[in-house]
Amino acid sequence: MPPLNEQLDALVTLQDIDLMIRESRDPEMAIHEGRLGFARENVQRLEQTRERLASRIDGPLLRTYERMSRRIPRLVVPVEGRVCQGCRMSLPTSSSGRNTPGTSIETCENCGRILYRI
Amino acid sequence: MTSPSLAASRNASSLESLLRPTLFVSELRSKKKASVLDELAAALAAAGLTRSPEIVAELLREREGLGSTGVGKGIAVPHARSTLIAERAVLVARSAKGIDFDATDGKPVHLLFAVVAPPVEPDPIYLKVLADVVRAVRLSRTRQRLLEASDFDTVREILIHAAAE
Repeated sequence: MPPLNEQLDALVTLQDIDLMIRESRDPEMAIHEGRLGFARENVQRLEQTRERLASRIDGPLLRTYERMSRRIPRLVVPVEGRVCQGCRMSLPTSSSGRNTPGTSIETCENCGRILYRI
Repeated sequence: MTSPSLAASRNASSLESLLRPTLFVSELRSKKKASVLDELAAALAAAGLTRSPEIVAELLREREGLGSTGVGKGIAVPHARSTLIAERAVLVARSAKGIDFDATDGKPVHLLFAVVAPPVEPDPIYLKVLADVVRAVRLSRTRQRLLEASDFDTVREILIHAAAE
């Protein structure tokens, strides 16, 4: 399995792909994009991409995402200036490191979201 | 009664606030679709919109894989919403030579509008921006003027005016 920071890269991309898949299945969105001339015909490809990304994420982390993302929208969020971009609360000063290989995932103490440090 | 100019400015508001000098690539270096998307993502990063251009480029590629955003008449509107995008933005880019973008009419793309936004659901403003971009370039004379514009300020003026027409 890749190092944790690479898994988080895959997870944050997977989260955006999930949004793209939801949009692709939304009839209203399909009508809107169709009117503008954008093609939307290959949703299967997105699902393949999702599978590829999922295979790069450790089972427990992926399962945590699958479970929690049902009740927390945008489960994985970036940290900007020590502020969680999910709930906009400041993180404690002790929580300022990057997600480095071998460390555990970091979550926001306030909203529970998975933090993604760039 | 609302004056035509006031109505025009209201109609154009979604583009007006998003067009910035740092989000303009006068002439793309890349000639192929995949590398153009990399170049657009790098330009977004240079403008401070993202610190993860590789992931943003991957998302733009995935959206293109779903179906081309080359809407014909030399226009493409690659777009994506991403956790790693700081705020809504429209990046304008040009290619005099043209890019094979798998456009609906098979013709090369000369004008690109990369529309990106954070993943807020639903986001009617994001949809309005996409619609405003497509509407702004529907006329041949507008597209020609955009290609001939000497600088960003002129491009911005043309787009704002065209979106409001």
